[in-house]
Amino acid sequence: MVTAILGAVGVALPVINVLRRESGSNMFYAAIALGALAAAISYVVSQVAMGTVAASQVLSGDVVADDLLGAFFAIAMLIVAVFTTVSSFAYMRERRYPAVYYSLILLSAVGMVMVAYANDLVVLFVAWELMSIPTYVLAGFNKRDPSSNEAAIKYFMFGALASALIVYAISLAYGLTGTTDIAGVVAGMAALDASLVPLALLAGALFVAGFGFKMGLVPFHMWLPDAYEGSPPPVTALLAAGTKKAGFAAAVRVVVIGMAALSVDWALALAIIAVMTMTVGNVAAVMQKSLSRMLAYSSIGHAGYILIGLAVAPYSATALPGSLLHVLNHAVMKGVAFVAIVGTVTALATAHIDRLRGLGRRMPITAVGITVSLLALAGVPPLNGFWSKLVLFGAAIDAGAAAPWAPWLAIAGVLNSALSLAYYGWVIRKMYFEDSGGERVREPRAIIAVVAFSVGFMVAFGVYPEPLIQLAQSAAPASLMP
Amino acid sequence: MTNELVDFTLVSVALLCVGIYGLAVKRNALRMLFAVEIVINAANLNLVAFARFVPDSGGQTLALFSIAVAAAEVAVGLALIIVAYRMYRDIDVAKFGTLRG
Repeated sequence: MVTAILGAVGVALPVINVLRRESGSNMFYAAIALGALAAAISYVVSQVAMGTVAASQVLSGDVVADDLLGAFFAIAMLIVAVFTTVSSFAYMRERRYPAVYYSLILLSAVGMVMVAYANDLVVLFVAWELMSIPTYVLAGFNKRDPSSNEAAIKYFMFGALASALIVYAISLAYGLTGTTDIAGVVAGMAALDASLVPLALLAGALFVAGFGFKMGLVPFHMWLPDAYEGSPPPVTALLAAGTKKAGFAAAVRVVVIGMAALSVDWALALAIIAVMTMTVGNVAAVMQKSLSRMLAYSSIGHAGYILIGLAVAPYSATALPGSLLHVLNHAVMKGVAFVAIVGTVTALATAHIDRLRGLGRRMPITAVGITVSLLALAGVPPLNGFWSKLVLFGAAIDAGAAAPWAPWLAIAGVLNSALSLAYYGWVIRKMYFEDSGGERVREPRAIIAVVAFSVGFMVAFGVYPEPLIQLAQSAAPASLMP
Repeated sequence: MTNELVDFTLVSVALLCVGIYGLAVKRNALRMLFAVEIVINAANLNLVAFARFVPDSGGQTLALFSIAVAAAEVAVGLALIIVAYRMYRDIDVAKFGTLRG
């Protein structure tokens, strides 16, 4: 249903463009795209609010599962797609080919939503490609700009390798179990002959590598800062906050559940990747001069926090809800941070941290958006980022009873959060306590709308996080809880 | 000649290794694109070979999907490489140096 709306409008936009025989009119196409996204998101939210969605049907055997797990990820991704579209109201003004641009955003959103709901490896793969291919084009959308093109080529090479590895992993899983249905694969893996377990491990490792490229886990993160810095900033919001979360959606359905079925101790391997990911991300972020590059590294760090939940999922009942919660929170926090960068790029033509001096006076609302999202990313108490980190680190400490190494994950996470607060604080100091003497600039209204919504979201669910935690708890698949 | 499953699997693993080697070592954008294609085709070979020996024919379906999707992917990749060539007169990824790292 959701995908039908988005897909139809996404395909219709270029047709409308040809029929109208004119160029320009960014507002017109943006409004159509926004309408489609708003219809989709209100449909999903109303379904969840009415309580008609089944809790979790990971093992149901249907090709597409209509469950809360999918709905949860779909909400997070659609929020990001709305952010991208709204900020493009400001960014795409004066730029060419708006119809194609919004059409690609919608098609990529269809792919992300399908990844969230997919319950069959064939559907998962096709949805993954539907999500990825439009974003390669979007990353290189400023085709006269060498850095946009370079970002797109790097992103494309690693993205194509990632999907190739995923097909290879699917082929191995299919060969070992004789089916592409996730429930069937899990059942087959559980009953696997001992001599074939190494092949199953190879399949699992290839899945982790393939999804890990999109998630930005550490051995596979080389492309990420370049792609995020070079792409048009609204597209970066889509990549950092949207497609990255689709990687986690796929990983929850495939890797975590497969891990439970295969009963081999992968958790330690995932935990080591988690610690490496957050440390590399946060340490490299300290040295960055460009705000978008710094946020790219911090987004690597946050992939590490989310991975904590996936790693300790077999040992603690709150681990997966923690991950889901952080996925939604990170989508909003990182989304608004990059949308604020769209604001500075359109108004001041820079995202360089040194040139953001005095932003608190020049663009007060954008500066508030950046400040609140950075504080939420660091996990400062009255904001939503604090609660998801609390649930995640609490789950890691809980898991210590079954896995003695798990509490170290919590310690690494807390140390990394402290480190991240240092470099976020440096940006905030530049914005408020140093002056550049520039005049106040008019802020684009679209950016103000996104900032207002997400500051409200971050503060509201920071003060009163109960409903979100409840939702995440019912969305997490319960079958692998001990 | 025998057509054992293990023969197909060995060829496919060999292709996977060739593809990953190519992507890691080559710096020519077209060669990197070929390397990715080799990995995808290794997976397709796997799928079709397994579908021959497994009761479920879903593997052949996925192989068809993956061929079609790979074609779309290559179209996008070649478009990006052409744009890069117009700017740099070269398709050596080591020379694309506007972003650090």
